[in-house]
Amino acid sequence: MKSINLCLSERSEPGAFRLLVLTSLLLGPLLFPALSAAVNLSGDSRTYLQSRETAIDQNILGVYEYLDFAVQNVGNETISFHTGGWLRYDLRDEQFGRKSNNDLQYSYLSFRAATDNTVVNLGRVMVFEGVASERVDGVYARTDMAAGFGISAFAGNPVETNSDLSGNDLIYGGRIGHQGGDLYRIGVSALKVEKDSDDYREEQGVDLWLHPMNKVDITGRSSYNGVTKGWMEHAYALSLGPFDKVRLNTEASWINYDDYFFRATISAFALQPGLLTPHEGVRILGQDISYAATDKLYFTADYKNFNYDIAGNANYYGGKVNYAYSSVSGSGFSYHRMEGESDRLQYDEYRLYGYTKIDRTNLAVDLIDISYANAINGVDNSYSLSVAALYDLNEAWKMGADAEYSRNPDFDRDVRAFVKVLYRFGSKGGV
Amino acid sequence: MTKTSTKLLLSLVVPLLLFGMYACAHTTSMATVHPTEVPAFPVCSDCHTDSRAALNHTSDFSTTHKFYAVQNKQACTICHKESFCSDCHAHKEEIKPSDKYKDSVERALPHRGDYLNQHKIDGRVNPASCMKCHGRSNNERCRVCHK
Repeated sequence: MKSINLCLSERSEPGAFRLLVLTSLLLGPLLFPALSAAVNLSGDSRTYLQSRETAIDQNILGVYEYLDFAVQNVGNETISFHTGGWLRYDLRDEQFGRKSNNDLQYSYLSFRAATDNTVVNLGRVMVFEGVASERVDGVYARTDMAAGFGISAFAGNPVETNSDLSGNDLIYGGRIGHQGGDLYRIGVSALKVEKDSDDYREEQGVDLWLHPMNKVDITGRSSYNGVTKGWMEHAYALSLGPFDKVRLNTEASWINYDDYFFRATISAFALQPGLLTPHEGVRILGQDISYAATDKLYFTADYKNFNYDIAGNANYYGGKVNYAYSSVSGSGFSYHRMEGESDRLQYDEYRLYGYTKIDRTNLAVDLIDISYANAINGVDNSYSLSVAALYDLNEAWKMGADAEYSRNPDFDRDVRAFVKVLYRFGSKGGV
Repeated sequence: MTKTSTKLLLSLVVPLLLFGMYACAHTTSMATVHPTEVPAFPVCSDCHTDSRAALNHTSDFSTTHKFYAVQNKQACTICHKESFCSDCHAHKEEIKPSDKYKDSVERALPHRGDYLNQHKIDGRVNPASCMKCHGRSNNERCRVCHK
């Protein structure tokens, strides 16, 4: 296999793809005037104004516009178009080295049949299938098959950051699953990424949902790295309940760093001493138990153990209580303690929050406090306090503002403010 | 049988088998929109007794939803728009989910409060939890320091 050097520079965006989407958005209704009257347009516009200070004393005042919309019934009720993205412009100091930025998060034409759950999506699609949790510029398709089987496949150009490599850039994969009524659902899946015709990533996996009896669910997956020839992760969860007022959840996972962090596109995940120790592995075992004392009052206790091959042990445990005064108001308190073998992994964490709705105004307050056993940058206590309000003008429009004050090892005093205007248009359905 | 003829046979049989299984499926597609209004944190088992009952949005669902999504994302889309996923599972994102929804204190959203310092702690405890969202995408903000 040829060696591939990962270049940590900005990858050029697929400009042609973006141009195609924008063109189709603008020209679509003109090219299909007969369809325009029949289509059903719905979506959201979210406008944000964010004020904050950075760790290098920049004063940030950024305006963001997030636009998401769907066009249903494009000539046929089985065809729809979905797109979403955002753009930002800085009114004061520039963020991340540029005055403005934008991203096309998803944008695809979708065919959805009335039978067999057949779906074909074409464009920038988000693929969640077995080992694949990827964003792809290409095609995704799935369908039911006979005898409880289902199959999915995808192919295209991987939408990643920072992997500016020469040559072709191709991702493809799929999943075959089987559902045995309400007893189980199991799938085997694979994905492959080729860069310049070399095997860049190759992953295979098994995913599982098992429901052996009422109130017992086992979920999880195992994934294998076909390039490094090692298991990346086994992650499984067991849910029991509710038994009267009690529910129990157990989670267990095993992660091998050499195999799991393979082909990350950022140096933070480089396997080197001081960052991620090479050949490290961790086994995580967690348990929580929740008790609903009444319809409004919940208690939860949780414990999680991190057992590292090299770095030793850490335990995180605590509990929380939630009280819902009504469907729109409530409060909660939580306490957790981290006990690890390194200095940084020794702290107590507190959180107190409340929310209510007065007339058309939603109000919320949130206090988070962390007390370090060993001071960080001379600070042994970090806290943040936020207050937020959201006013419902009507079903379509909402306006909100919030402010946050914090003191932490990086800032003596950090004040942030956020203003938002939300507009929902078209038909209802979904959040 | 030679290796070439085995490959040739498989390349003919597998598509035929898949086509036959597809032709005989005869299932009805899921609804595209939930027929009734669903409250926040729905308890699906209140109405459903089949596999959908497992989708209860209990306190651990923020941890386990990944398992259900990779098996049957269509079930998610009955109630959630694509933007609901992309608020957290983003290609490029500059605003923390907890900043967009600071008025929703009851939701389990990542990176609440001072996360500049806390990420150094969480990153040591379980870096795999960072990798899922920031390993190959949505890491422009990380690169300000992690050159």
